[in-house]
Parts: sequence; structure tokens; C-alpha cells
Amino acid sequence: MGYFDVPEIEYSRYSNRQLAAVPLALLAVALLVLSGSFLVTGAPVQLGMDFAGGAELTVQTTSSEAEIESAFDREPDSITTIQAPGVDNQYTVQFAGVEDQATIQGLSDQAEANLEADGDASIVQSETTASASFAQQAQQTALLGIAVAFLGMSVLAFLLFRTFVPSIAIVLSAFSDIVIPLAFMSLAGIQLSLGTVAALLMLIGYSVDSDILLNNHILRRSGDFYESTHRASRTGITMTVTSMMAMLVMGIAASLFGVELLASIGIILFVGLAADLMNTYMLNVSLLRWYKFHGVRS
Amino acid sequence: MGPKAFVMEYWRLILIVAFVGGALVALFIPGGIVADDSLAGEEAEVEDRATNIEYGLGLDGGTRVSAPPVGMTADNLEIEHDEQRQLTEALLAYEYDDADLESADVRVRFHENDNRYTAEIFSDEVSHAEFADALNSADIGLEVTEDGVEDGVTQQTRDSIIQTIELRINEAGLSGGNAYEEATLGGQYYIVTEVPGMEPDELRELLSDRGDVRIVAFHPDGDGGQANQTVLEGQEIAEPGVASYDDQRDQHYVPVTVDGTEDEDGNSPASEYQNSMNELGFTGEGQGRCHIQDRQAGEFDFDPDDPQWCLLTVVDGDVVDAHSMGGDLGDNMAAGTWVNDPTFRMIVPTQQDAHHLAVNLQSGALEAPLDFSQEQTFTVQPSQAEQFQLYSLLIGGLAVLTVCGMIFLRYRNPKVAAPMFLTAMAEVVILLGFAAAIRMPLDLSHVAGFIAVVGTGVDDLVIIADEVMDDGDVSSSRVFESRFRKAFWIIGAAAATTIIALSPLAVLSLGDLRGFAIITILGVLIGVLITRPAYGDILQRLLTDK
Repeated sequence: MGYFDVPEIEYSRYSNRQLAAVPLALLAVALLVLSGSFLVTGAPVQLGMDFAGGAELTVQTTSSEAEIESAFDREPDSITTIQAPGVDNQYTVQFAGVEDQATIQGLSDQAEANLEADGDASIVQSETTASASFAQQAQQTALLGIAVAFLGMSVLAFLLFRTFVPSIAIVLSAFSDIVIPLAFMSLAGIQLSLGTVAALLMLIGYSVDSDILLNNHILRRSGDFYESTHRASRTGITMTVTSMMAMLVMGIAASLFGVELLASIGIILFVGLAADLMNTYMLNVSLLRWYKFHGVRS
Repeated sequence: MGPKAFVMEYWRLILIVAFVGGALVALFIPGGIVADDSLAGEEAEVEDRATNIEYGLGLDGGTRVSAPPVGMTADNLEIEHDEQRQLTEALLAYEYDDADLESADVRVRFHENDNRYTAEIFSDEVSHAEFADALNSADIGLEVTEDGVEDGVTQQTRDSIIQTIELRINEAGLSGGNAYEEATLGGQYYIVTEVPGMEPDELRELLSDRGDVRIVAFHPDGDGGQANQTVLEGQEIAEPGVASYDDQRDQHYVPVTVDGTEDEDGNSPASEYQNSMNELGFTGEGQGRCHIQDRQAGEFDFDPDDPQWCLLTVVDGDVVDAHSMGGDLGDNMAAGTWVNDPTFRMIVPTQQDAHHLAVNLQSGALEAPLDFSQEQTFTVQPSQAEQFQLYSLLIGGLAVLTVCGMIFLRYRNPKVAAPMFLTAMAEVVILLGFAAAIRMPLDLSHVAGFIAVVGTGVDDLVIIADEVMDDGDVSSSRVFESRFRKAFWIIGAAAATTIIALSPLAVLSLGDLRGFAIITILGVLIGVLITRPAYGDILQRLLTDK
């Protein structure tokens, strides 16, 4: 008891269609969520201040949350209490989608003027601002970054395996690994920030790890399909679950401490790696099994 | 076993030990590895810290402001060397709809390296069409169209801005600050300024001062009115002093020495200044006759009843002070001897003005102003930054502990799990040592990179362990080598994808994320090339009982 054992999955009990149906359905739902959100709000996920312009302030004050909310000319999008060891009365206040530069620059003055100081500590502990045009640029850069990363990964997958089905399996699963956490963000109201973009790019790297492992075991090694799959999954699931746990701990700790960047990376990677488990061991396995038994081979 | 055989046998282990050793030296021995200062700012920041690690703004406190310069450029102008001046004058004389350009707002340049001419206007109130029209109005055969004008300024202008900003930060007594440029996708450039221990408002003020200092003679025009004439510009002052105070006269001032270098005609800025003072009557009838400034109220009366001879100190178009020519100075000038020791005091009303003036004179004028409507700022209080250092350590530690726990639960064999943990730690130490050696300032994003490295590292180690222990027995080293090579193919492929996925971030300017990408890529490289193969070696020795 207490040990972490990788269960053996009885793949032979399920048909390829059954196996692929779940991840494909989830991918479809995720795409639906994103397009729905796009139709309603104009963006597939809520854009944070990094990409929509605005400001984020960390304030130290004895004022209450309600007082903080009314301290600014503009209503904050979110106020988070920071719960770190040895820290009291710290809050993170976010304003996203502010167009006017003067408004952005005035926010810290309003905080200084309208909030109660907590002893000698400065009221505004940290502040990040981005003007609308800077954010616009960051948005384009991030989109390009993700596109280039994805394309590069796809090319590499094809170069590594040089056959269509296994390569496309990797690409498809990586795509789904990115889309599902995006839909999760959209539903959970997590804003797209620089940290989440980093997490999405990391996902490309992580997700391909387990796919390559699986493809390699099934295609490049001799032996029974089910035996190879079992070995690959034993290693792969260990890897992914270990990373998931590390990311979960990091995500929870960082969000308690108010370290936004690390928190969003942790949470998004956790969700994405969970999606990757499903995609690799249901979608990819079924595609590879179809390829191995029915696919055209040279 | 001979030394050669020993090296052949243990080279992977020797490599990792050497790297960890080097990293520890770079980390803990003060000044352990000589590195250049290019990545970090000033030496002054290095205090008595436990390690040689440099912290970036996010972990050390301070402010960063990024903003693009204002301006537009017409490139590859077909003009001759002696037409530059004519072109500049035409650009200044042109009637713009909304803008009133001063000489600092126009720059015609010759680029020696590639033998071309550019013209720039540093104002956002001039349209592309007007600029093109103004260029064509110079009557030197230019035919520039609206499309020939681009937003943005030349590299030389940006370099000069960065230099001026660095001088200003140092003048303001702030060590550890620096300025650099960052390109965006659209070909736009942002000037980024980072300063520890300053609020965004202060820094913005420091950066928004154009710093164009001049002395304007306000003198009778001979028809009963008054006229203005610029008699000295900031760049003609050779040696500006520091802000000073004269308690006998209750004056705040900056002592300056005017440039006395003579050109081929025997004229120097100093002699020209002396001449114009004499011609305009400042050294004769005008001595002591300036009463347009109400020092108490800080106001000026530019429509005086009687003739005035005032020297106006003008900073960025605003009159800061007005005073008359002093007795001794006037007499020296009238006698023509002042030029031998061309010094005088620039008097200003307050200590703050004096300080401002000194900084502006020292650093020179900002070649082009910055557009703060497109800015991005980031600021952290030092106390908060110190907390972040602690949090990063805690969060990183927790993540590593989780990984270890999972590994022990999975393998139940300390022979497999313990070296795995040690290898992952070795990666972090080598990476930290590397960062300390090249003095890369660490920020929160780098911490995220470290955690990502541990994550991918453990993934790879699991792959190696599982592959090597396949079917239990690893009896011969030949079997081991072949299994290890198989594992390495997967690790290499995975590393290649991670590097490809993150390389856009390492190149593109997406603020914080560059550090994350660079650390992760470096970590993956160190892992694949040095530490992870060594883990295979250790595992082989432990499992084959060799």
C-alpha cells in the first residue's frame, strides 16, 4: 500500500473507435467552448493585462477588500488575497483591457491616496502595466511563438518517424493537449498571461515526450503490440504523473504566495498533462493499433 | 588501470563532477570566475551575499520602463554631403499643420558604413505626407513619397538615446541601472530602462525630460520691443559641473565651462558667445538690467516696460531662470579676456532645478523623446522582491520534494531513486553556476525555467531507468550499452522538441518569458549532454555490481 504502481490497461477489450471516441469527443467539446467564447466575448480565452493592456498591482493595506474595490476610478477585474507565510494584508489587484494610458498610470496614485497604509510598508508593493498598443504587440508575438513552436514540433515529428499515421498521431495529440487546457481556462476564468503562454509551449515539449516514447516502443522495437504498449505506458505514465504532481504542488503553493507567473504555469501544465495522459494512451494507442494491424506498410 | 583507461571508463562521471565543481566555484567563491559585466549592470550591486548569483528586478526590487522612441525616418536620400545643412533648414522652415519643430527635432545623418543619408523628425505631430513634402521642399532635387517615410528612428539615434539614459541614471546616483533596446515583431524598437530603487513616476520623469538646455538672450530689438536669440546650446558646454550653492549670494547654480576649441577660422563656441554678448549690449549698457523674473512667485514678465538685457536659461522650451550679466563677467567679456577661461555660473531658482540642470547638461539631450503612451512598466518594492526570493526557493523546493517522493514511491529501490534525485540536483547546480558565471540576472521567470528543467530531467531519468532495467537483469555491459543507446534516442528526440518549442520565446521579445525559455533550453542541453548520460553510468555500476 502507498506505493505508486502503474496499472496495466486491458487495451484488447476495447475497439479503436471506443478508445478514440473519448479524447475526440473531449477535443470537440473544448473547441466548441473556445468558439462559443470567441462568439460571445470576441476572444477564445479571457486576455489578461499582458495581452489586453492594463495593470496589476500588489498592495499592502489594512483596508478591506470592499474598500480596495472602491479605491480606484475603475472597478478591478479581480482581487486576490495573498496567503504566504509571514505576510498579512497583501492583495493582488488586476485591471485588464484598459485602453487609456493616463488611467493606467493613475492607478498606483489612487492606491496610495485611498488605501490605509499597513505600518511603514509601502502601499504599492509591485506594479506591472502594459499599454494597449504594447499588449497588442505582445499578443501577436505570442501567437506567432505558439504557431512557430507547433510547426517546428510537427516537422520534427515527421522527420523522426517518417511515416504519416504515427507522426500525425503526435501532432494531433499535441494539438489536443493545448486546446483542452485553453478550454479549461476559458471555463475556469483563468486569463491568458505570459505565464500561461509559457505553460502552453512547455506542454508541446512535455506532450511529445510521452508520444515519442510510445511510438518508439511500438514501431521501432520487435515484440507484441500489447507488450510494447504496456512497457511504454509504464514508463510514460510514471513520467507524466510525476510531472503532474510537481506542477500541482507548484501551482497551489505559488497561487497561495501570490506568485502569479509560477501559479499559472503550474495549473495549466497540470491540466494539460492530464489531457496528455488521456490523449496518449487512448487516442494515440488506437491510431497506432490501427496503423500496426490495418495500415498500409511499405 | 592506466590513467587513459580510467578516463575512458569513467568519462561521463568525470564530466559531471567537473561541471558541478566548476559550478560550485562560480556560485560560492567570491569573484570565483572572471566574467564580463555585459549582462549585469554595475559592480556596485555585488554585496556580501552568500552566493555569486545576480538577481534581476523581480527578485531584487526596482523599476523597468519600456517605451518606443517618437519619430519617423526617410532612408536612402539622394543628396550630396554639402546639402545636409540645407535639408535640415528646409525641414525646420516647413509649415507643419500642428507641429512647431525646434532644431533638436530634426536630424539629417550620413551613415559612413553603408554610405547613405537619412533624415529623421522626432515628433508625433507631423504626418508622413508632411515630412515627405518638407523633404521635397528643400530644393535639392529630392522626390520622396509618403511611402518612403517609415515610423521609427535610426540605429544611431537609438544608440544615442540609450547612452544618454545610462548617463542620466548614473548622474542621478543610481547604481545597477541599465538601458537597452528590444525589437518587436513589427520592426519597432522599444527602449528599455531598468533601475533598482526608483518608482515608475520618478523614472518616467527622468526619461521624459528631453534635456535640451540652451541660453537665450532676451534683449531690446532696437524698435522699442524685445527679441530672443539663442546664444549658447547645451552641447557647446564642455565641462558642466555639479549642482552647487553659494550661501553668500543665496544662489543655486551649476558651474560650466564653455567649449573653447577653435575651428579653422579661429572661432570657438566660447569666443562666439563672448562676441554675441558684446554685440547685443549685455556687457555694456545691459549689465545688471534684468528685472523680468519674480523669484517669489516664480513668474516671468516677457512684456516689460523698459529695455531688458536678460539671459534666459531654457530647458526643453521652458524658461527656468532669467538673470542679467554679472559685473566681473561682463567686464572680462568686454575686454575680450573671458575667452581664455570661459567659465560662468548658470543660476537657477531651486536646488532641484540645479540638480536637474546638471543632469541634463552632463547627459546631453535625449536625441528623440520616448512615447509613453505605448509604454510597459514593471516595478517591485525591494521588500516584496526579497519575499519572492524566499517564495521561489520554497516553491522550487516543494516541487523537487514532490518529484522525489513520487520517484521513491514508484521504484522502491534507493539504488535507482537516490542517484536520480542527485542527478536532477546536479543539473540545477550546474545551471545556477552557469548563470552566476555569465552573471545572468535571475528573475521569477528563470525560477520557472529551473522547475521546468527538473521536470523534463526527471522524465528523461525515468526513461533511462526503465529502459536499462528492462526485464530485470543487466548482466553484461554490452547489453547495458545497447539499452542505454535506445533510451538515449528517445531522450534526444524529446529534448529536440522541447528546444524547438521554446526557441521562439528565447528569440522573440516577450518580456519575462525570454528568461524562462533560455534557462529551460540551457537546462535541457546540459541535461542531455552531461548529467543524464552520467546517470546511466551510475545506474549501470550500481545494478551490475561492477
